[in-house]
Amino acid sequence: MKFLAHERSVREAAAAPTRRDMLHRIGAGFGSLGLAGVLADAGLSAMPGAMAAGVAGSASPLAPRAPHFAPRAKHVIQLFMPGGPSQVDTFDHKPDIQKFAGQRPKSVDRKSLRNTKNGLMPSPFGFERHGQCGKMVSDIFPHVAELVDDISFIHSMYTDIPEHAGAILMMNLGNIQPNRPSLGSWLVYGLGSENRDLPGFVSMSPRAQPRGKLSNWGNAFLPGAYAGTYVNIAQMKPSAAIPHLKNSQLDPGKQRVQADLLAELNHLHLERRVSDRRLEASIEAMELAFRMQFAVPDVFDVEKESKPTRELYGNSEFAKGCLIARRLVERGVRVVQLSHSIDGYDIAWDTGHGDIKGGHARLAHACDQGIAALIKDLKQRGLFDDTLVVWGGEFGRAPTSEGKKGRDHDHYGFTVFMAGGGVKRGYSYGATDNFGLTAVENRVHVHDLHATILHLMGLDHERLTYRYSGRDYRLTDVKGSVIGDVIA
Amino acid sequence: MRRANRFTRVAMLLVAGAVPVAAEPDDPAVAFFEQKVRPVLAEHCYKCHSAGAERLKAKLRLDSREEMLRGGDSGPALVPGKPDESLLIRAVGYLDSDLEMPPRKKLPQRTIADLRTWVEHGAVWPAARGGTGAGNEPGSPDQAGASDDWKRVRREHWAFRPVRRPQAPSVEDDTWIAGEIDRFVLAKLEAGGLKPASPAGPFVWLRRVHLSLTGVPPTPDEAADFVEDDGPDPRQKVVDRLLASPRFGERWARHWLDVARFNDGFGAGFDGGDKPFAWRYRDWVVSSLNGDLPYDDFVRHQIAGDLIVGADAVVATGFLALGPKYTSDGGDPEARAKAEADTLEDRMDTTFRGFQALTVACARCHDHKFDPIPAEDYYSIAGVFKNTREADLPMAPPETVKRFDEHQRRVKDLDKRIQGREKQQKKGELSDDHRRELESWKAELARARASPPPGYRKAHAVADAGNKDMHVALRGDLRKKGPIAPRRFLWLVDAGERDTWKQGSGRRQLAEHLASDENPLTARVAVNRIWQNHFGQGLVRSPSNFGTLGEKPSHPGLLDWLARELVARGYSTKALHREVVLSSTFGMSSEFDADNDAVDGDNRLLWRMSPRRLDVEAWRDSLLAVTGELDRRLGGAPERDLLRSGRRTLYSVISRNGDRFESDVFLRLFDFPAARLSNEKREISTVPQQFLFLLNSPFMIERARRFAQRLEKEAGDDRMRIERAYRLLYGRAPSSREKTVAEAFLARAGGAALSMWSQYAQALLSTHEFMQVQ
Repeated sequence: MKFLAHERSVREAAAAPTRRDMLHRIGAGFGSLGLAGVLADAGLSAMPGAMAAGVAGSASPLAPRAPHFAPRAKHVIQLFMPGGPSQVDTFDHKPDIQKFAGQRPKSVDRKSLRNTKNGLMPSPFGFERHGQCGKMVSDIFPHVAELVDDISFIHSMYTDIPEHAGAILMMNLGNIQPNRPSLGSWLVYGLGSENRDLPGFVSMSPRAQPRGKLSNWGNAFLPGAYAGTYVNIAQMKPSAAIPHLKNSQLDPGKQRVQADLLAELNHLHLERRVSDRRLEASIEAMELAFRMQFAVPDVFDVEKESKPTRELYGNSEFAKGCLIARRLVERGVRVVQLSHSIDGYDIAWDTGHGDIKGGHARLAHACDQGIAALIKDLKQRGLFDDTLVVWGGEFGRAPTSEGKKGRDHDHYGFTVFMAGGGVKRGYSYGATDNFGLTAVENRVHVHDLHATILHLMGLDHERLTYRYSGRDYRLTDVKGSVIGDVIA
Repeated sequence: MRRANRFTRVAMLLVAGAVPVAAEPDDPAVAFFEQKVRPVLAEHCYKCHSAGAERLKAKLRLDSREEMLRGGDSGPALVPGKPDESLLIRAVGYLDSDLEMPPRKKLPQRTIADLRTWVEHGAVWPAARGGTGAGNEPGSPDQAGASDDWKRVRREHWAFRPVRRPQAPSVEDDTWIAGEIDRFVLAKLEAGGLKPASPAGPFVWLRRVHLSLTGVPPTPDEAADFVEDDGPDPRQKVVDRLLASPRFGERWARHWLDVARFNDGFGAGFDGGDKPFAWRYRDWVVSSLNGDLPYDDFVRHQIAGDLIVGADAVVATGFLALGPKYTSDGGDPEARAKAEADTLEDRMDTTFRGFQALTVACARCHDHKFDPIPAEDYYSIAGVFKNTREADLPMAPPETVKRFDEHQRRVKDLDKRIQGREKQQKKGELSDDHRRELESWKAELARARASPPPGYRKAHAVADAGNKDMHVALRGDLRKKGPIAPRRFLWLVDAGERDTWKQGSGRRQLAEHLASDENPLTARVAVNRIWQNHFGQGLVRSPSNFGTLGEKPSHPGLLDWLARELVARGYSTKALHREVVLSSTFGMSSEFDADNDAVDGDNRLLWRMSPRRLDVEAWRDSLLAVTGELDRRLGGAPERDLLRSGRRTLYSVISRNGDRFESDVFLRLFDFPAARLSNEKREISTVPQQFLFLLNSPFMIERARRFAQRLEKEAGDDRMRIERAYRLLYGRAPSSREKTVAEAFLARAGGAALSMWSQYAQALLSTHEFMQVQ
């Protein structure tokens, strides 16, 4: 067994093949997810299912694993809009609101969170028709409007409760309490990641983390390898995007020597102990860690992009997140979650209570160009077909007014959109009533959206299970159906 | 040929474990019904059409197949195989204008299609497991007599049967036997044609038993004493010393705290406050274990310590008080009801997985699908917790409490009065009398503030808050009330005349049932957890689920023998630990054997000691122990800055949401569980970020520096230092190759900010071997 020459340059070392390539292979590479529960308790040294499968195959819990069936997308970028963007002021155009302005027709006379009793309030924004599909889009999203022919809108979303904390968790983990794994961690558990020099699931936001914080990207009871890695992109230095990325005492060359010493000590141990799968995993993880020190600062450094690209995205903090998201999926990261936030507010879109006009216009302005640039950029790089972009908040806002200028929460009906891998283009699915309050046609619960996302990624939401403390858990609990109609 | 034979024999020994008693879950038609049909019926129909309906409409019940066939005022609701002729399908399809159900809103198209499919395929309704006869919605097994199926499961499932008194089996090779445990293990090995691994060497055994019992490795002096001990029972001496050490309670408390989802507060969102006295519960667990509190009392005190006269056990109810308190962040009625139901579920789930290895929480929305636990039983016991409130109890003599509280009230009252007067004063409305009074108040307040009586600390505990049975919540929704569920214990365990609980919350009675000698689960669950934490795996590998979907024990006789032992020895867990760690089974080496591995790769039959990674507590504590920095003080308020503290990892502050402190990140990186759900077993994940921590964190760099300093002080030259390092870290001498590698590394030109010795020390501290227990 040869070790990397001490004198070899760091650059070469970072690019060198992993030691696992040289190691004795054990096991037949179980890729099957169905083994999860079985292997969890089996002899693979107390490793839970997917991880044990990963170990048997390649020693890393993040090793790519075969999906249940052919996937339509390989990566997910979730553009999360906490606080509740209003559907009737963005993508769900309802001219009838104008006609009945100030009135409170029976169909909108439903209990809202704050028991508002006012009449219908027309959107303060203009709407225009866009694209081949003729989609009506509010003029606060001019850039996204240009791309409606690439997007599937789902107008008939609904969720369980009209409160932020619970509804945000519902959107991000399929449960209103913070005690389940997040969507992203389920995906990485099911599929692994394509680049093991980077975390498999990265969650980002400028400034505030969405309400519920870690729960939104946490692994709960899934193994730690599947937790999202959170990066605050407003304060982030690429060289410190994740903890302990840099050694304060040793330069990279000296550290390589030390890392090789550790590898050799471990290896001497390996030779004494036949067939220790976990030791092999640990030797590989150490090599990955070494390379991560270079891969992570690189991927988070948007200065490495060309000027035209940076101009395409614009200067907002959210746009920077969009650009990093593209750089991450380009390198094979499985899931990216980017949450919107301005003014350090954890439920940014909730300024809608008091002022739709000013608040929503500012929030849309801060994310519109970045979202559009992301889609364009994914397209021009040939990544769009493999990447599923999902935009939306935890619920919407009512068409009736709260106070003079605001809108209360609306969990009866709201809009999300999807674009990219496997999704129809220039398409709208489901509908709310005439005024946009309640999803009435082809209703889609958040569980259904989750089932659909997993489906597009090649996973059957009913089969992606994890046994914890004697019970099988699923992202979709006992619910959820795939929305076949939005799949291209 | 011989191999094949052995394989078959082992397979036969093991195969039974995989088959659940209730075979139904595998039937796709049943799964379809349970997933797509029953929930719809329950949610949309039962309010008016079930036994639990407040007012039964049209005399129609839809809560069993029989009732559907019988029908109501409009005739039979169901014609199996013929959806178009089934009124149920016509009604939900809104096909007849005078029969549109549910009346307020049509079901989604998908749901209607599912109901149709179900009828088309014969309307399969799983054979009676439910209480009232036909797989019904919440009912009581006692009401109409439990179904035969449930009775059978209760009678036959291994965990629900009374604990047996097994005879230790005879074995061929008696020389291997150090205690009764070994007979059970060896008999299985012999039956499977396997040979136990050779005994572990003295250093390996000593390090293992130290880590297992106390979570810190032996010092070189302790190792030398052990090796040089010529007395009759050096191992017993070691074990007795370790069991008497306070480190024992610290180590084993942490195992229980995983199950008890212990935390210092700091949940998400509106549950984000701290629980500043949570440590009192943690310290109670430590001292209970160190004092060898009988296990039945350990159970009793945590459920009802506040109600047990004479036991100083109020603090123990922190077990209940430290659970998450789910809240609604806007007062929405549905959200509020869910939050309350989720909070109750936490108490149910943690109590029953923890003490009984039962997943009762599955019966929150419907009868348990696999174990004989009707939804009614869930609410019988949830009712106990509903009548319980959190109560921060003063931990001081009553006079102290009274004096301090009165003082606080006085100060508050004066303050309020003064503020009122000052407001008047500003408006110029104050009479002279009042002004004088104001001055005297101010003086009094100043005096009171200047000499406050001593304050006191509190404990997070619980107290009774009512005495009322709960309704069954249909589909788990507290707003949809089903029948009353009288408070009493599980039918599954408590057959025959079930006493109902009318005194206070009923916690005292619940505690007695959980701690009863007659309870077939309590002792089995306890000994299995002990076994698991010594061997890495329990005899039952689903330690918090002994139900029909859990695993069967690999050694049922041994499990029962241990359970009996526990009870027979007055529930002394220390006695049991002693028995386990002095066995030949525990004393085996972890050496690999390809033949054995081919037959029993999971090591279910215990042919060797499985090597495993230390949990984060034992690993960090070991690091501090070998560098000489471990602070051995016991108990007290949590450390908020663990990575710069010398205290044991047990004492770290734990945030329930896992994101409040730097230490949360560190702990979770090394697989510390989320402190929100009861955790039965640590996962072991190996990820690059762990190695970033090893390579780059200031914590590791500092430990390496300290370790290098220690070596420099304790040994004269490089050779001796290398030797000493291996003794301290791994309890063994370095191999010649290891010495060569070390010397070559140390001979390199330094020049960095860290000495070569520091760098070498960091590598030694980061090795796989140091993180492992063999």
